[in-house]
Amino acid sequence: MKKKTPVFDYLNCVSCGICAQACPVSALAMRREGKSGKYRNVFPELVADGCIGCGSCARACPMEVVSMEERDES
Amino acid sequence: MTSFMGRILRVDLSAGTAESVAIPQEIYEAVLAGKGLEAWYLYNNIPAGADPLGPDNILAFAAGALCGTGAFLTGRWTVACKSPLTGGWGDANCGGLFAPAIKQCGYDAIFLSGVAEKPVYLFSDGRTTELRDASAYWGLDATEAEKALHRDLDGVCRKKPCVAVIGPAGEKLSLIAGICNEGGRIAARSGVGAVMGSKRLKAVVLAGTRSMPCADPEKVKALSKELGRKLLKMTLPTGLGVFIGAGGRMMGHLPSMPLDGSLTSYMFREWGTQSNTSLAIPSGDGPIKNWGGTPRDVRLMDAVYNPEHINKIETAKYHCYSCPLGCGGRLNIRGRKYVSFDETHKPEYETIEAFGPLLMNWSLDSIYQLNELLNRAGMDTISVGNTVAWAIECYENGILTREQTDGLELKWGDTEAILALVGKMIAREGFGDALADGVKRASERFGGKEYAMHVGGQEPGMHDARNDPQLGVHFVAEPAPGKHTVGMSIEYGAMSLCDICSWAPPATVHAKKRDLEDTEEMALISKANACYTMLVDGAGGCYYGQMMGVHMWKLIEYLNAAEGWELDGDAYMEIGERIQTLRQLFNVKQGYDPAAVRLPDRMLGVPPLPSGPLKGVTLRNREQVSSHWRAFGWDDKTGVPLPETVRRLGIDKLTEV
Repeated sequence: MKKKTPVFDYLNCVSCGICAQACPVSALAMRREGKSGKYRNVFPELVADGCIGCGSCARACPMEVVSMEERDES
Repeated sequence: MTSFMGRILRVDLSAGTAESVAIPQEIYEAVLAGKGLEAWYLYNNIPAGADPLGPDNILAFAAGALCGTGAFLTGRWTVACKSPLTGGWGDANCGGLFAPAIKQCGYDAIFLSGVAEKPVYLFSDGRTTELRDASAYWGLDATEAEKALHRDLDGVCRKKPCVAVIGPAGEKLSLIAGICNEGGRIAARSGVGAVMGSKRLKAVVLAGTRSMPCADPEKVKALSKELGRKLLKMTLPTGLGVFIGAGGRMMGHLPSMPLDGSLTSYMFREWGTQSNTSLAIPSGDGPIKNWGGTPRDVRLMDAVYNPEHINKIETAKYHCYSCPLGCGGRLNIRGRKYVSFDETHKPEYETIEAFGPLLMNWSLDSIYQLNELLNRAGMDTISVGNTVAWAIECYENGILTREQTDGLELKWGDTEAILALVGKMIAREGFGDALADGVKRASERFGGKEYAMHVGGQEPGMHDARNDPQLGVHFVAEPAPGKHTVGMSIEYGAMSLCDICSWAPPATVHAKKRDLEDTEEMALISKANACYTMLVDGAGGCYYGQMMGVHMWKLIEYLNAAEGWELDGDAYMEIGERIQTLRQLFNVKQGYDPAAVRLPDRMLGVPPLPSGPLKGVTLRNREQVSSHWRAFGWDDKTGVPLPETVRRLGIDKLTEV
């Protein structure tokens, strides 16, 4: 069974958290540690299997760095 | 379609009822949401003379107009009520996730009246709204209560709830208590936490999942993308923090101070607001020794306040909702002297000033501890710092005795005595009980009024009006006096309001001599500053977005795109003027006398300081405040809005619900 889940372009993400708050099932959290240029920062990541593939995160992202891509669930 | 949810939640805690109420579109067009919606509702619905800690007071939580639209730096939530500290308008705001959570439940704001019989919390997920027993959480500090609520609701809600909660300070009705979210981040000012405590309301817990509307989301996104790309490119070389003190020293000697909005963006992105400390102290902006000292009193400034030091122990950065800047951070403070916690939020500039130079305390470790203690207690660090400074100066001058202070020897820079006294204030124990209601009440009881730094009952934020006289105008004329976030001359220069507003004077640098004068130009600058700040608050915007300037954070374009309107800057500034006038009318209705509010002599420069960057400065504050009122169309002697101003702004025609 195929299911769409968010994929993030972290290089152009500004860590605003709009995607995580848009998620209706709290499957995203600002938890992934990384860097934005030289700055240590946190980024969104899937934290549970709860993603329902609704695409709310991708639609909400002002930077357009979230895309919904298919992954095989089986 | 506009960005508004179109409804408010009205809760009667005495009756245990909640109802969803539709708000006419004309109200949003007049005052937006956020603080504007609160000003309109509270002015109409809190009866004159209401007891701030009684059932007639209304506690409001609101999100701004732009929250949830994709606009950056619009995640502030505002709490408002009648302030028990000043007897007039009270408000405070905070970042985190609570603002979108209000809208995701289907509301622009929540208004709570009455008093619950026993401790309760309000729960809403947009479908179910109810008051629930909070006895298991009453008594817990704000951070522990939030954790417990998350634990108990785990798996019950589809979405992780957002929690606004009081700590022990609010429960014990400390008049300098605030309301917290996200592990101790606090809407601190005006005593809003005491009002929540008086209602026996421990928390508001929101777990809605509704989408938030916007007229033109693609246009809003394009504006955000433009700003986001600029910020991604902003980087300062590592190690530059050590030079900030030198910059501050230079600013202290210059006759004028330029500030570009992008500078603050660099600084806050790199270090957070704490980077302002070593800039503020030598320039004359940061108060020292209860507002009576000079930079010469500050030892080892560059060693203590180099912002790189604090960044070295930062373990994680965090952003508020919709913020690409990210001035927040978590610090690892385990094992440090005076410290009993493992971690704390990166202290804000205000907190470092209030427990550092203001008290002549050079232990950063103790400030980490005080920061965490007060965030958990839900108590305003600005007010606590000013109150402790008063106590120390009274003790040093023999007004307070050792018997009165429960044996504490209160001396400048005595870190252990400061920690002990703050602990007593949080617990409302012994001498601390008398101080837990702020410096005005304490000085009325014990004397030493000349050392009590408050404006209209509220302790001032950590910026000196002798350095920026426009700040002094707002300290006094602002309906919630003593707040430092309404306007400054240095900020006016950064914002470039003349580019969006036809009557705003040209953006010029903060010229120290000019700013001391009482002129029509200065009055228009202070009016423009206040109107724009109210507009920002109606939009739910962040002060640091505002400081970026109108060319970088494009508020007018954002609002037109989000609401589908085609208004110009003048029309939006009139909305800000309307909000500010409504807040002033609230004060007049409640019997608050604007003309009785004064800056303490010391803050006026009476007598002037003998040395340092503020040497010889005495403010013409009274005259400047009168001119500010006149520019607003308020009586220049009483501060009461004139009938023709009320009519011109259409306030008399706004519908009540």
